[in-house]
Amino acid sequence: MAESVSDLVLSLADCKQLLGLRYAEWCSATPTLEADIAAAAMGLDDLGHSRVLAGCLTELGPDPRGAERETDPAAYRNVAFLDDTWTEWDQFVAANAILDTAFTVMLEALVEGEVEVLRTRLRKMLGEERYHFLHGRSWLNELGSSAATARAWQEAVEWFGPDGGKHRKRLAEKLERPEPKLEIDWSKWDPLRRRTRPGAIDRPTFDMLRGLEERRYGVVRASDAEAPARG
Amino acid sequence: MTRVHKNVREYDVFARKARVDPLRHVGRVVAPDDDIAQAYARATYDEERWVEMVIVPRAAVITVTAPGEE
Repeated sequence: MAESVSDLVLSLADCKQLLGLRYAEWCSATPTLEADIAAAAMGLDDLGHSRVLAGCLTELGPDPRGAERETDPAAYRNVAFLDDTWTEWDQFVAANAILDTAFTVMLEALVEGEVEVLRTRLRKMLGEERYHFLHGRSWLNELGSSAATARAWQEAVEWFGPDGGKHRKRLAEKLERPEPKLEIDWSKWDPLRRRTRPGAIDRPTFDMLRGLEERRYGVVRASDAEAPARG
Repeated sequence: MTRVHKNVREYDVFARKARVDPLRHVGRVVAPDDDIAQAYARATYDEERWVEMVIVPRAAVITVTAPGEE
């Protein structure tokens, strides 16, 4: 199947939006005060990256965002690792080191690619992502491998897709560790969501995302309009 | 849970806003290695659009004159 660059950019935008939110959820719960601050900063970075990526979509052809995004959490094209709030620090570290770096590998490919709007607008992200990488890799070296890192690596490879051999090699090089042994059933792979696992973002997160988007575009709900004005 | 890394080094952070400015001391971070110290410094001292930021391990600083000795 010929891959649409719009579909890829939307998936990257959705992944970064969810990654930013998940980072932010940990900004007062990491093992150290410094990591709290880093979590907040990285969260802001990735939310900003998501907005820039989404802003590129109108210049890449037909917008792949359909009406189903208003009501169906499964319409979001994020990796499954970001569906739910992380409950353990090693999940944060696995996402920070492996998934965030995988997204950066794809960003690098787009910046070096042939689509001019992506070559110019995405370049600045690479500078910011350098700090995410240093943070994630150091914590990964401190904590070592875990079930969370195995799952993150699996989902990163799935996200690259069946033709992602070059990206997989680059990810392992950057992390300075070999790709773990993986078993992927590509027959279950969803080419739009770039994952094999079913499921979707948790409902509270989805509702919050829809609320944020409504306010961003000035949509006023009837219930809001009827509320008395605050002094 | 203690909210510090087990083995940390202290780093001084220096930055400047313009090429013509001298680097000035903006603060410190503690971190277990140079890589994560960079991430912490960048996240903590992001109040300006710095053109340059560097970190120096505190242990590498050699005091030539200290307050009270001049």
